Amino acid sequence: MTGMWLRVRSSRLLLHVPAFFVLWLLLSRINTVIDPYYSHVMAMVAMYAIAMLGMAILVGLSGQVSLGNGALMAVGGYTFALTSMHWTTVPLLGLPWNAVWSVICAGLCGVLVGFAIGLIAARLRGPYLAGFTLGLAVGIPAIANRFAFLGGSNGFMLTVPYPDGGYSDSASSDIATTDNSVLDQFLSPSVAPSDVPASDAAASDVPASDAASSDMLTMDDVTGSGSASTTSPTPSASDVPSASPSNVPSATDLIPTTPSGTVTDPGFIIEQWQASMAIAIACIAGFVALNLVRGRQGRRWRAVRDDPIAAALSGISPAMSKVSAFTVSSLFAALAGAVFAQLLTYVGPSAYGVGLSLALLVGVILGGRASLLGGVIGAVIIVGLPSLVGNVADGRGWPAQVTDNAPNLIYGLLLVLVVLVAPGGLVGTARDLAVRVRRAVM
Amino acid sequence: MTAFFDYLLGGIGSGAVIALLAIALVLTWRSTRIVNFAQVGQAMATTFVALAVRDASGSWVLGLAAALVAGAILGLIVQALILKPVRRMDTSGAIIATFGVLISLQAAAAMIWGGSPQPFGPPIANAGLEVFGHVWPISWYDILIIAVTALLVIGLGLLLTRTSVGLAMRASAFNPEVARLSGVRVGRMLGLGWAIAGVVGAVAGVLIAPSATLAPNSFDIFLVFAFTAAVLGGLDSLVGAVFFGVGTGVVLSLVTGYSDSSSAPVVVLVLLAVSLILKPEGLFGRGKARAV
Repeated sequence: MTGMWLRVRSSRLLLHVPAFFVLWLLLSRINTVIDPYYSHVMAMVAMYAIAMLGMAILVGLSGQVSLGNGALMAVGGYTFALTSMHWTTVPLLGLPWNAVWSVICAGLCGVLVGFAIGLIAARLRGPYLAGFTLGLAVGIPAIANRFAFLGGSNGFMLTVPYPDGGYSDSASSDIATTDNSVLDQFLSPSVAPSDVPASDAAASDVPASDAASSDMLTMDDVTGSGSASTTSPTPSASDVPSASPSNVPSATDLIPTTPSGTVTDPGFIIEQWQASMAIAIACIAGFVALNLVRGRQGRRWRAVRDDPIAAALSGISPAMSKVSAFTVSSLFAALAGAVFAQLLTYVGPSAYGVGLSLALLVGVILGGRASLLGGVIGAVIIVGLPSLVGNVADGRGWPAQVTDNAPNLIYGLLLVLVVLVAPGGLVGTARDLAVRVRRAVM
Repeated sequence: MTAFFDYLLGGIGSGAVIALLAIALVLTWRSTRIVNFAQVGQAMATTFVALAVRDASGSWVLGLAAALVAGAILGLIVQALILKPVRRMDTSGAIIATFGVLISLQAAAAMIWGGSPQPFGPPIANAGLEVFGHVWPISWYDILIIAVTALLVIGLGLLLTRTSVGLAMRASAFNPEVARLSGVRVGRMLGLGWAIAGVVGAVAGVLIAPSATLAPNSFDIFLVFAFTAAVLGGLDSLVGAVFFGVGTGVVLSLVTGYSDSSSAPVVVLVLLAVSLILKPEGLFGRGKARAV
């Protein structure tokens, strides 16, 4: 299959345009006919797929293991939220603001931040890079947690779309407070009264629900599968089957941001609107990523990854190659973060925690880090596994803490297993097999 | 000014714990050139073991002993089953594998013990000492932490530099091939390094738990603190890890005192970024010639 693509390389760009257009039409059509719940699932897969494309480029093609892409998603998500809350017209152009502009801003911000971080990251190798990006995964949400104008630990709840496709802040609610008590306890000088053990005091001011929501590895929060709906700040798909028309006075104005014009239907379904946006962005991102990877830039990334010295001798700057990979990866992460924000209708430090970054790493490694397709498959795995485990657990009387954490255990074990047995992930292993079969046949 | 010294002193106890975790990271790095990002996961798991044993037996010391044994075993298992085979491949594989172990351990702990934080009180008073009419931000518990850290560092230093086992460990880490030719059981030495790191991590976990509640992921932030301290110290140096571990604790205490605790991760990120910008190999690390 790749052979065919390569042979018509000169017209590759032209071929990709209709291919992705057809893909977009197809997915948009599916989105209009399925149940809103599955629209939500589609949107989650599309959102993860966008981020995974960036991970595949960064980890797979450029060879930089990053744990910070969840934090870069936060950059996109917060830009999306803040611009759509505060700006009503486009600066200079004077056009009315809508979600598309917010997404563009998120992408720009992602590029800027990614470039700045990439300049640091390009100098780092192996564990230093991993540790630095882990620091980003912890530190960037902590910035949002620290400053009140970024919503603090509560974050921002975004209401359903305005007629012009923007969001408004529905007053910071205290549903989702990030749990700071661990740090408070640890860092405050120990002058607690002697008769109360410090730990008991800490336990008493941490309600159980907060503790669960601060569980950074609970990917249910992230995938929004609804199983943790008591702790999740996010209105999950099942909670919001459809927005009542009164919330959306004139949904017809939404058309510019939606592909298939379904919103002209008075029965406006928010999941469909969200999914249509996610699908459109995913298709554009996929198109851009595929052309980058198959083109000159992709060759440079691979050359630097495989042999930096040879690449440098061939006139490729390894540093610039690594920085550009980080920047592109950050662009995709920020776009995914913006989509995530409008899927959750919420941004907050807890939504973009370390667990999200780890989920991205898991997805791209399991799917196959060296290919974009692997990233997309990784997105399906990340979204699909929790509900699969939920189905298996149904009616077997598993306690909730087992069912909720079983996906993470499987992710962790699979991650180790893939590194040990099949470093290429699903796609890499499939390709190896195909090559072997072809050789055996010929 | 008194406030400044209070914050300064208050940071030493928490810094000692960060130093312990940093030492564990340094030990695995020195023995196998792998930074064990699963170290906090192992420490968390062994602390849960300590909690279970303490609750069953009523003795904090027995709990600590159980944690030490569990830490050594866990370190050995992780090294032998996962990282030994991975090491023959690429470095990114080893890094990814350690995160796989971290995710698995946290998920397993959450499945067994639940996700909500559990109290794990200190064995001795954790209240500020009152001397000369001033309540100092140092408790007997802090003094215990500092003493344990100092003892461990001195013990490890002696072990590595003054014993034949330590010499064999350093030889295996420095040049496995030559060490093997000289009759050193390199595989055992690497395993021993990980086991000792596991023990140190277990001590750190048990000592952190009273000041931060014990939950499957409540130690995550300490991984970043400890990594920052270890990197500042050059990743190779026990003394560097202790110095910068305590330093990180003091800085965090000052930041928390003059601002609030939500600034702490931000400051640590800045610290880490600045140190990596200035010296990508760490402040105390010997710069190695790089090809490109």
